[in-house]
Amino acid sequence: MMLADGFGGNGASPAQARRLGQVVGGSLSRGLDVRLDGYGASAEDVAVGSFVTIQGRRQRYFAVVTDVELRAVDDGVRHFPPAFSTGAADAGDFTAEVIAGTLAYGQLSVMPSMAVPVGSSPNGTAEQAKTIPEHFAPVYAASQADIDAVFRAQDGDFALGSPQGMETSLVRLDLAALANRSVGVFGASGTGKTFLARMLLAGLVKQTPAVSLVFDMESEYGWQGQDNDRGRQVKGLKQLFPSRVVTFTLDEASSRRRGATPDGVVSIGYNEVEPADIEVLRESLNLSEVAASTSWNVARHYRENWLREFMALSAADVGDLAGEIGVNLSALQTLHRRLLSWERFGFLAENGQGSASAGGIIEQLERGNHVVLEFGQYGRNTAAYVLVSNLLTRRIHETWVRRKESADGGHGDEPRPLVIFVEEAHKFLTPDIASQTIFGAIARELRKYNVTLMIVDQRPSGIDSEVMSQLGTRLSCALNDDRDMNAVLMGARDAGQLRNVLSRLDSKQQALVFGHAVPMPVVVRPRDYDEAFYADMGAVSGVSVAGVMGETEAERMQREIDELFPPE
Amino acid sequence: MVAVQPGQRVAEVTASQSQRVEAQCYQAHAAPPLGSLVRIGSPPVYAVVLEVRHEPLDPTRPLTPRGADLETEDEVYAANPQLSAILTTRFTAAIVGYHDGAGICAGLPSLPPDLHSFVFLGDAGDLTVFGNDFGWLRLLLYERSPASDTAIANLLRQAANTRTDSRGFLLNAGKALATELSGDPPRMRALLRKVGR
Repeated sequence: MMLADGFGGNGASPAQARRLGQVVGGSLSRGLDVRLDGYGASAEDVAVGSFVTIQGRRQRYFAVVTDVELRAVDDGVRHFPPAFSTGAADAGDFTAEVIAGTLAYGQLSVMPSMAVPVGSSPNGTAEQAKTIPEHFAPVYAASQADIDAVFRAQDGDFALGSPQGMETSLVRLDLAALANRSVGVFGASGTGKTFLARMLLAGLVKQTPAVSLVFDMESEYGWQGQDNDRGRQVKGLKQLFPSRVVTFTLDEASSRRRGATPDGVVSIGYNEVEPADIEVLRESLNLSEVAASTSWNVARHYRENWLREFMALSAADVGDLAGEIGVNLSALQTLHRRLLSWERFGFLAENGQGSASAGGIIEQLERGNHVVLEFGQYGRNTAAYVLVSNLLTRRIHETWVRRKESADGGHGDEPRPLVIFVEEAHKFLTPDIASQTIFGAIARELRKYNVTLMIVDQRPSGIDSEVMSQLGTRLSCALNDDRDMNAVLMGARDAGQLRNVLSRLDSKQQALVFGHAVPMPVVVRPRDYDEAFYADMGAVSGVSVAGVMGETEAERMQREIDELFPPE
Repeated sequence: MVAVQPGQRVAEVTASQSQRVEAQCYQAHAAPPLGSLVRIGSPPVYAVVLEVRHEPLDPTRPLTPRGADLETEDEVYAANPQLSAILTTRFTAAIVGYHDGAGICAGLPSLPPDLHSFVFLGDAGDLTVFGNDFGWLRLLLYERSPASDTAIANLLRQAANTRTDSRGFLLNAGKALATELSGDPPRMRALLRKVGR
């Protein structure tokens, strides 16, 4: 058999690579069975999620290990096992050593994902595997050159981290493809999904023409974030890209307390809240279906400024109103009580500042700036988060739809690709309201209007399955719940095999990435979010940027001097 | 018992068939031990000793005890010098390989050794050549007796002793045995115990 020079061409050839075993069965749909060689390949050496190459007769395949199994030729071995051998010479049981790898052996399930023709040039592109190798094709541990070839650097690629067990190789994401379709970042809390998401956002800012709008619930993306494991502050997008990221806040006081200088403060007019927003908030406000739907009656009654007028009513007035508009009294009272808690929302303004706020954000986005909206204290209030993100997104989406339609009609330019970043997506993409929220619509309409979503969530099982299946690229850190794992894999090719890989992820710093932005599913250890990453992103170490848009270093210094010593 | 040395001519073929050879030793009690590799005739055929028999030369004249009044066994032979002429040692060896003109092959030759072919006890060189290919094991495993399994174990241990990596060799041989005997785990285990002892 001819030994090709591998995926990498100039890297390890099969002759040099570590042989693991050979293909003994399987299929393209359920994966291949690889019997481990008796010598040199212990089941203990092969981790689920690691890469192997298979040397076929005409193609060389690149595959992921999805399961490892211990098998025995004969049941006798299982019933009367020999003493366990540690493998050290003369120390173990001879019989056990002999049987290991012959009558009792390890078997891998591997999923062939990519293939290159044998003998193709080193620059030959690996394509999706549509065939499988013949019986007994030898299987090797993938070398660094193989990995590099599959995740080959191209313009717009972004080094996300290294594949499992190969710390010196890099897994690259195709950011253009990533921004093209909606993206999901999942993981139980504390698994590192925030860091992963922050890195993706940084990549989008640095390397794509797309702009992003980040609804920053915990104020971790804009100015700076917190690395709880190491007890240190990490840079946010604004610190990394002072000239391309604009921060808005709902809670100016909180932003200032944290040392950030927001570029704008967002307020929402009472008159901008629509009954549809209340429907979306039904779960967050703990409203019954009837109570939520009475908001439509109230709005019809008061028209324009219905929310403000309704909230201003006394308890007695609410009773009168119920009779007047013919709705269930207790439902209306519940709605009134719940909405009264919004009095604490400092961002709700008497007069419609919201349009101006949305307009300010749209203006920045159209200029090519990325916008982070910090929620400050309101981030802890799900209702506030859902209300604001839904409302602003609706307005921005409307603008994008208009622009896109104009562009299609030959008037004006195409709107920039926009990625809307939301956390806790299961709060407003649940199956019963996904169809009503703007996010559900964006997810379903794909990139028709150049708007996509990046959703970050710890409970993907709570998200509407239709929305999940529209996600182009999914990145998942460890999840604890079976339903969440199934939800993440919903609609994915090879979901059954990836399930094993997903369930074995380390609880920290490991993520399974699959979909449009990667050529094949891969378990990644994300790179460290540290000085080296900052440097890659082009940030200058040690420079603190007190955010004023478009300000040069000299201007910043002058401004700070002026602030300290006001000119007479 | 008389020890025989590697490379020493020890017997002549008295009967042969495609799979096995009967040989009679030149001297009573001077037989190659069970599991010995023997080289027979020219071009050589290789066989492994599976059974050794000490017996009267004439099967119609069974032996009778002669030492009832004597102190030691040696005195029996000293008092009956004719014994050396009426006793003999014969052995059966299973053919496992042959020289095909180019090299040694594991397997059966197209014709068995000629009668009266000389039989030599294999030396270290013969053992080394045979150790490289475990195809011969299969021929021996067809023989199913405690003696044949002991012969296999003895042969493997002798072959291992001629090598620097004797444990590695035994492991390889053991794996070949395990593969051949996958359908008979009890026999495999018994055999592996003998080999690994």
